[in-house]
Formats: sequence, C-alpha cells, structure tokens
Amino acid sequence: MNPEKIRDKSPEELKEEKIEAKIKERGPEREILGGIVFEEEKLIEPETKEEETKRYIYIGNPYEERPIITKLETDASEEEIEVIKKEIIPMRESFEILEAIARTYKHRQPLLIEGPTAIGKTYLADKFTELLYGKGVKPLDFYCSGQTDVSELMAKWVPKVETEEEKRKWQEFLESAEAQREILKIGQEVEQKEKLSQEQKLALIHTKLQELAKSAGLAERTQWRFQYGAVPKAMELTRNPDGSFSFDEQKGMGFILHIEEIGLAEPQVINALLKLRGERGRLAEEIQLWENGGKKIKSGPKFWVVFSTNPPEEYLARNEVDPALARAVVFKRMGDLSEESLNLATDYYFTYKLEKKPEKKPEGCILDIYNHPEIGREVSKVVSAFHNDLNKELKKGEKGRQQRIPLTLDDMARVADGLIDEQIRNEETGQLDLTESLKELIYLHYLDRLADEDLKKTMKANLNELLEGDTGKIKFEGELLTRKEIFDILVERVSTTEEERKKKEEIKLRQAEFNVQDAIGSLLKDEKISESIKKLLRE
Amino acid sequence: MNQEKLKTFIRLLQKCQKQPSRTFDLGLVIKESKSQINEEEVFNQIKKIVPIEKVIYDQSLLDEDVIEKMIEAFKKGKWIFLEIKKDIRSPLLNQLKHLANHNILQLIDYQGKDIFGMKMSESSRVIVFAERNFIETKISYPHFYRLFGPTLSLK
Repeated sequence: MNPEKIRDKSPEELKEEKIEAKIKERGPEREILGGIVFEEEKLIEPETKEEETKRYIYIGNPYEERPIITKLETDASEEEIEVIKKEIIPMRESFEILEAIARTYKHRQPLLIEGPTAIGKTYLADKFTELLYGKGVKPLDFYCSGQTDVSELMAKWVPKVETEEEKRKWQEFLESAEAQREILKIGQEVEQKEKLSQEQKLALIHTKLQELAKSAGLAERTQWRFQYGAVPKAMELTRNPDGSFSFDEQKGMGFILHIEEIGLAEPQVINALLKLRGERGRLAEEIQLWENGGKKIKSGPKFWVVFSTNPPEEYLARNEVDPALARAVVFKRMGDLSEESLNLATDYYFTYKLEKKPEKKPEGCILDIYNHPEIGREVSKVVSAFHNDLNKELKKGEKGRQQRIPLTLDDMARVADGLIDEQIRNEETGQLDLTESLKELIYLHYLDRLADEDLKKTMKANLNELLEGDTGKIKFEGELLTRKEIFDILVERVSTTEEERKKKEEIKLRQAEFNVQDAIGSLLKDEKISESIKKLLRE
Repeated sequence: MNQEKLKTFIRLLQKCQKQPSRTFDLGLVIKESKSQINEEEVFNQIKKIVPIEKVIYDQSLLDEDVIEKMIEAFKKGKWIFLEIKKDIRSPLLNQLKHLANHNILQLIDYQGKDIFGMKMSESSRVIVFAERNFIETKISYPHFYRLFGPTLSLK
C-alpha cells in the first residue's frame, strides 16, 4: 500500500465503522443479523457534572453496501431491542421501510408509505414505536375509511345529554348532512372573525351551537364538552413512565401517530390533515383549530406522523393519494414483496424462528415439527409457491365477489401455527402424514375463503400436482422426488430413534441377503448355467 | 348447520395466534343468500360451547354503545357475537381494526383517560355475523373481509 495513502482515523470515524459493521452483520449462512443496533453512551451532564447513561438505537439497511445509519434515543432496554429485532423478518423490504421511518422521524418529516397488503407497513410502524419506547408500546393508530369525519381527527364539541333517547336523537342529527353543513358554516364564520379574541370566538361558537340545537328540536340549553381528535392529541401527548398517557396543550412531548388507509379518506379529511404541513417539508410546529376558538396547539418534539395506504390501481375504492398531501410528505412507494423475501418470510414461519417453541408436545401434535427446521424448510417451499400462485390469481379479482381479498403473511402464519398441533397420522406407518396435514390446513386457510368455485378447483388441483405430481418434483439429495416423497423421508428420519433405525437397517440387510441367496439358489438350479460358474456361485 | 364446521371454527378462534404478534383472530360468520339458518340458531349453538353475548349493530345502537358492550364483555372474559345490520361507521371500524391487528381497544378521551387502552381478555373473542348480500352491497369499507381470520359460511 502506498504509505502516503495511510491516514489516522478519528475516533468518530472508527465508531462509525464499528456501527456500520454491526448494521451489516451476517450469520454463518449469510443471514442478516444486523439492521438494528443498540448502544449505551455515558455522558457528563454539563450543569450537574453527573454521569448519565443514555440509550440509543442505530437503524440502517443491512442490504446496502454503504447504509445510511440513523441514530435515535430510546427508552427501550437492550433485552427489549433484542426481542423486537427477532420479531422482524429481515426482508429487504422491511429494512427499506424501517430505514425510511427512522430517517423521516429524525427530521420530523411526515412519511407516507404506499404499498400492497402484507409488505409490513403497519407492522413496522408498530415495531419502530417499540424500538423507541419499549416492548408492547403501540403508536396512536387511526384508521381512515370513506366515513371518517374530520372531527375524529381534529376536534369536536360533544353535547352532554341526560337520557338515552336524547343521545340517540343527537347522534342522528349530528350524522345528518344538514348538521355537517351547519357545523362547517359555524367554523367558517368563526375563522372569518379574525379580530375577535379566543374567548369571544368560543362564546360565538357556543351561541351558534345552541342555535343549532334549537333548530334541530333539541334542548336549547344543552351543555357542550370540547374533545380533541387524534391529531392534536398525538401532538401533545406524553408517555409517562408508568405506561399511561397524559395530554398537555403546551408542554406535551408528542407521540407517534399512524394514520392508516389514507387512500380511503374523503377530500375534506385530507384538507384538514394539510394543516400538518410545516416549513421545509417538516411537520408544522403548531396548528390552529376553529373548534377551540383558534387556540394554537403546539407540536411536541416527539410528535411524528406516518400515513399508509394501498396502491390505488390494485385495490377497490382507493383514491390516488391527494397531490397536495403527496407534496407535504416524504412519499415512499413500495412494490410487492420479492420472491426472495416471500421465501424468507415463509422460511421464518415454518422453521418457527419468530416464536417461543412449546416446551412440551401440545395435544394433537404427532411430530414436534417446530424442532426440525430441515422439515420446515421443505414445507415452506411448497407454501411459498402456492401462496404466490394464488395471490397472482386473486389480484385479478374473483368471480362472485366485489371485494378483493389479497393474501397476507398472516395466512401462512396461520398454516404454520396449525401445523404444530393439527396433524394427521399416516395409518400405515403410524407417523405424521405431513402431506395430508398440510393439505388440510391450506384448504382451510387459503381455499375455503374463495367465492369462485372454479378457482378453488383449479388451485386444489395445482396443490395436488405441487405435492404429488411430476411437475412438482425437485432434486433432493441427488434424486428427483415429489414433495410428498421428500416429506415422507424427512418425517421417517426424525420419527425413528437411532435404535429403531438400526433395527430397520438390519431387517433391510437381512432381506437383501435373503434375496441374494434366493437368486443364487435359482441360478444353481438353472441347467443352462455351466458348472464352473455354479462353482463360483457356491463359493 | 354443520356442527363439525362450527366446532372447528370455534376451536380455531380459541387456539390460533398469529406469529409473531401472538394475536387472536376475529371470526366472521356469513349467511349465504339461500341459507335457511338464522342468526339466533348460530348464536345459540355457539353459546353452548363458549360464554358469549349478542350485540345487534343496527339503527337503534350507537358505535359508542357497541364499544361499551365490548368492554364489559372483555372484562368478564366473554365472547361477543356482533350482528351487523347497518354500514359500519368510523368509530366502530377503528376499534375492529385495533382488535384485528393488536387485540386491543384504543380510544381517545374515554373513561377519564386521554388515551384509553384495553387488551382483549385472553378468553374473549369477537365473532361478526352478517349476510353475504349485505356485506357485498351495504358495507362501504372495501377490506371488510380482511378484518377476519376464520370464516364460517352458512349455506
């Protein structure tokens, strides 16, 4: 090496290299072990001069040659991070999403993930929240639909009613188009009165609401209670050490808000959400709501929003993401899971890497398949291929059903779960009949849901062909075998003890010897064979 | 009604937990258009197997009322048989999604808490009952079926 090119690396650079190596860490079979790294740092508090330990997580995409690594402070312990890490299947797409989440969170930029079902949008937003706050902490989730009302997200005035009848009457009225129009009018009127103080605006709102009550034939003196919706709540929510949440309009820390299925939301909901648009592509520092007289709601330092939706071209009733919203967020578009990732996910499910294995054999379990990854791996290949084929068909739509039901990873998770203790015994061998057990589970979790009878028949035939037909044959230990034959070999191997196997080998050997002697006996009786050869045979 | 299928349906709801989140599925019972079986019969059959309460989601019931009934049932470790007779409004849909994804209820400003969170009891489950034609024509949420795991179709 040219000595002129040698240079001393700074401690920061050396630390960066160490973290990057951990992010890119792989196991003996090249499996991903990194992606998320936990580190503790000891810092001296400048004022008190006391030593303080801070916890950090580093998130980066281990599939990248030079990953961009995001460092974030966390409340979670090292043990919690390890558990959470194990619950994430290390697919390329998972880290792509996680990396986008971490980077946008750090810069307080709202993120929108558009991607098909089963890509992990919800799951990874949940896991990210756990990585920051500890195991079991969920983000504030809001699910949009065509019926979502702006007031659920922003704020509303709720009438205090005494009787059930009054309650119902109010609800009916508030749900009516007339009431929606009137409430919108009140909002516009209040917003126009710029010169009024907040108190004056609130008084005006009260008067208008009383008038509205009167016009609807309800008690004019109705008391009203103000209620914030999901957005202002998340802006000023603080998670307390005991796990509870408290809301403070001015001093709240803020929390993670996940607004799901944004593609289903109506334009008025999108318009309301545009209030979150801040400067330089960040989240707004504060928002104003007419409902509380225009009082500003500050955005806490830990407030962050992630939106998610399915692509409009593939799913019924999804709108294209509103261009204004698309401009206000970091837009992350994801495609379908790659075949490699789907195979990896299936492998994780069927080798039971994601969960604690049962300590003792559960009822209904003939073979502890969860302790035999070599069998799980073969099963996973079949399920993955079948899942892929059926998903392609379902994406085209189904005869006899308007709603589309795309497959999710949960479907294979259910099959894997069932395979532990819904096992069928082979009557001939007394051992697990893996082929039949798997078929039954696939029928239940994949095929029984189909409304299209023709598709059901075709997929059933395809499954049979995949398991037992010639086209499903693959090379296994040098031989071309059907999946059923492979399953039988593997089950046989692990079902029998060493002693039983030896006994079986001995029986086979004795049978072979007997066959040879039998053959020699026939040859010796054959008159066409010369005496010299017979002599050799006798020897 | 096919008793075996009903038993399998209940067993799956009781037993199956999705990896890795370890959440229980919500169940769906669909009455096909030509079916002669009524919801009362299904409910009574299920009642023989598990402790369950029936809630009819129709014009007379608000979303908040249904959610309250769910909370009460979960406190007692009971199952809920929710018969859908009107399009599902946003507050209830939100809670069904929370239940399907995390087996929790998450409500804002409820019972004096800024965020009210409640885990569904280990022994509770939710079964939704609806007619096929109603689902296809009246339910506006396009991924209604995806809320559920095991589905029992009454033919």
